[in-house]
Amino acid sequence: MPLRRLFALSSLAFLAVLAVSPVKNALRPYRSIQAQYKALGLARATSMKAASVYADRQIAIQQIWIPKFDNRVDRCTTCHLGVSDTVMAGAPEPFRMHVATYHTPGDFPRFGCTACHAGEGLATSKDDAHGTSPDSSAPMRPAAYMESGCGRCHQSETVDEAPTLSYGRATMAKAGCYACHAVRGHEDFRSDAPPFVSIASKTGGAWVEQWLADPKKVDPNATMPNFQLSKDDITELANYLFSLPVPPQLEQAVEQASAEPAGNSANGKVLFRESMCITCHTVDGKGNGSAPELNHIATRATRGWLIAFIRNPHAFNPKTKMPQYSFSDQDVRDLVAYFEDELRDFDAPKEILDPLRVNQTLADKGHELFKNYGCFSCHVGTERGGERFGPDLDGIGDRRASSLDFGKRTDLPHTLDAWLAAKISAPRSFADGLKMPKFSFDPEQRRAIVTALLSMSSAPVPEPYRYIPPQQASVVPAGQVGEIVDRYRCLSCHQFGSRGGDISTAPLTFEGSKVNRDWLVSYLMLPTSIRPLLPERMPIMKISKPEAEKLADAIETFYVDPSIPENPFAGRPAADADPKEGERLYTTLGCRSCHIIGSSGGYYGPPLTDTHTRLKPGWVYSYLMNPQKWRADIRCPNYGLTDTDALRLTAYLETLVAAPAAPTATAEQRSAR
Amino acid sequence: MTTGEWIRGTSVYRSVIRHGLEDTNRNRSLIIFENLFLHVHPVKVRERSLRFTHTFWLGGITLASMLVLIATGILLMFYYHPSVPQAYRDMKELQYVVDDGVFLRNLHRWAAHLMVFTAVLHMLRVFYHRAYRPPRQFNWVIGVVLLLVTLLLSYTGYLLPWDQLAFWGVSVGTNMAKQAPLIGERIRFFLLGGNIVSENALLRFYVLHCVVLPVALLLLVSIHIWRVRKDGGVQGPPEEGRQ
Repeated sequence: MPLRRLFALSSLAFLAVLAVSPVKNALRPYRSIQAQYKALGLARATSMKAASVYADRQIAIQQIWIPKFDNRVDRCTTCHLGVSDTVMAGAPEPFRMHVATYHTPGDFPRFGCTACHAGEGLATSKDDAHGTSPDSSAPMRPAAYMESGCGRCHQSETVDEAPTLSYGRATMAKAGCYACHAVRGHEDFRSDAPPFVSIASKTGGAWVEQWLADPKKVDPNATMPNFQLSKDDITELANYLFSLPVPPQLEQAVEQASAEPAGNSANGKVLFRESMCITCHTVDGKGNGSAPELNHIATRATRGWLIAFIRNPHAFNPKTKMPQYSFSDQDVRDLVAYFEDELRDFDAPKEILDPLRVNQTLADKGHELFKNYGCFSCHVGTERGGERFGPDLDGIGDRRASSLDFGKRTDLPHTLDAWLAAKISAPRSFADGLKMPKFSFDPEQRRAIVTALLSMSSAPVPEPYRYIPPQQASVVPAGQVGEIVDRYRCLSCHQFGSRGGDISTAPLTFEGSKVNRDWLVSYLMLPTSIRPLLPERMPIMKISKPEAEKLADAIETFYVDPSIPENPFAGRPAADADPKEGERLYTTLGCRSCHIIGSSGGYYGPPLTDTHTRLKPGWVYSYLMNPQKWRADIRCPNYGLTDTDALRLTAYLETLVAAPAAPTATAEQRSAR
Repeated sequence: MTTGEWIRGTSVYRSVIRHGLEDTNRNRSLIIFENLFLHVHPVKVRERSLRFTHTFWLGGITLASMLVLIATGILLMFYYHPSVPQAYRDMKELQYVVDDGVFLRNLHRWAAHLMVFTAVLHMLRVFYHRAYRPPRQFNWVIGVVLLLVTLLLSYTGYLLPWDQLAFWGVSVGTNMAKQAPLIGERIRFFLLGGNIVSENALLRFYVLHCVVLPVALLLLVSIHIWRVRKDGGVQGPPEEGRQ
């Protein structure tokens, strides 16, 4: 019967189709990979006992299940079987032992694999797990940006063990990314961009137009990016800036200063060097570079403005990092005379500092441009100042490549990291009419920023996995001392606790336990170089004696570490304070390869010639016990000294007193001048 | 006495199978009458009505896919949690870990597509064969309701994977329901268990898909097939000359 035969045949065909799936199941690749691992383990094992572990292995899916961490299930170890197996060190992939990191091999059960590497942890085949297909929903983190995985849990700005991530986060803050883009944790961020209030009295229209065309070309230290403005845009913006009214008291100060007699350029040159301006500024590229380049300063601002600004920088820009030096009126005139003689652009057109005659129609158009490009995001103190102009960046590290607009960039691979890298280096190349300006990041900065961006997750990791290092108290006393700290902008270079700049290598958090008051007073009045190796020096700001004393007293009172003993020798046998033994230790430990005593020694560490004058014995002792306790990057080796040895070494160093030509004398001579 | 004869003599066997082995008309009809599952089936079927061109087997294929759907659906329920953090993950688990999981899920999906497709064709076939006319007018109405239940099952199952397709599919669908005059908003709220597509909607659609609609479908299908029998079996193409 044909109908019955058809039924029988179709039933058999259906059974055959049903058999396809179990066959595919039995031939899944991880099974053969596990067989290979077994063979490799048996070949590499060095003892019968070790070999039996491999021989007894069952073929099965392996997984790390972490209910506490978003119910994570990572089956990567189904193929990567040797991640914590020392026998597999240097074995071929996928069996190789995981390289040693801060979290491996001990923390696999706590973090799994995808917490750091991303990818699809549930998957049991290579392509699915690695997310290698285009527009995959869960691609693995590329090796170049591996540290973005660290940043998911480590949310502080600096993560000591992840230099690229830290560099990226620091670069983002420095470039002012958070001024335009809202990011969780950076709600209070405000750009350092100066206000425009005095621009009409500071410089000329031609200079502003030059600056707007390409700030980096005018000043390589400029943080302002290039907005790629057209010539008309530039003219309109310049007109707008010059149409802003200058506050009368600033205008008056500039006018008065410009009427003052010329100073002595030669004196100014000496003063410029003494004042250590290049600790922050540069001259022809030499210097720290965190403040503007000064080689053309006299072509950048008028004489009157420069004099008025150096006398009281905080009146012009309350947020500036520049300290208010206690120069005399003549000192400032001399300095500016030196600028005009030597630090100017001799090729610049004569009229570069001529004020712009404002055309109100152009100024109105410029005002529109000002709002249209979101200038107010960085230049706070204007209308809508500080408002976030760009899109939020929260969760940018979890964006799927398929949800990104690649626009005209058909050349890019469809991955998030390629998109971000291109966005950073050529933001306007994706479409016409985009507004993000062009920053000039070098490839290393670009990689670091992409790393930082990829670390921004859409949902924060669970509380127990979040790591934010404890914040150190960073109190600055109010009142007169606070005013002094503010006037001299101590925090531009030094840190109090977790606050402050990074130019100085000496945090002031525990300065009161470290140095002697009298030394500190004389140092504040006339700083000498402590570490000859460093190009950055404490500038001579001509701090007066009463100010220095107030500051030193406050430091002695507030910035003290209670764990440092006042007198380490108290209650110790006399033998522990034997300087002879200490001197012997000094020689045997090789301290002199970095430190100078008298006339011999190395230049890396500070000279120890005047230890007794400068440092307190309690500090010296505590430091010797653990040099890295206060700063992790201190190079002085931790010799693991015993209490007795540390005390003897302290006793020896305490015998060292500076030669009678104390700096205090010089300081008094100078202030008398 | 052979073993077979002995078994057939036991009271247990006789209480379950109540007819003889001989291929007689009496035994044939007993097989049908004594069996709950077969009793809706006619004792005798004309060979002509089994021919493919007679009905194109559309009702039968629909019924068969329904049975596949029930079987695979129950198996899938073992692996599925109707909750937001788990639902999509369970789809992945089916793919990555469950033996033959992808096949199971795809079987359910293919059978669902097939069922909707053949149910619609079945309706067209019945229409063109004029099988909606008395005495089958009541069964036609049940058939239409069955088609609606089938479509609703297909739609509620669409949300369960909880992927983008599901989410937006249901967003669009329930927004369409909202356009109904006067009670639109209420219908949408009723369907979703809230104003947005959320875990409430997921739970509602799950219960509808796995309990309410399947029970309704089974009841209606039983009545449908019973009516086919009562109305004189399947009706193929109307005979020439008869109107």
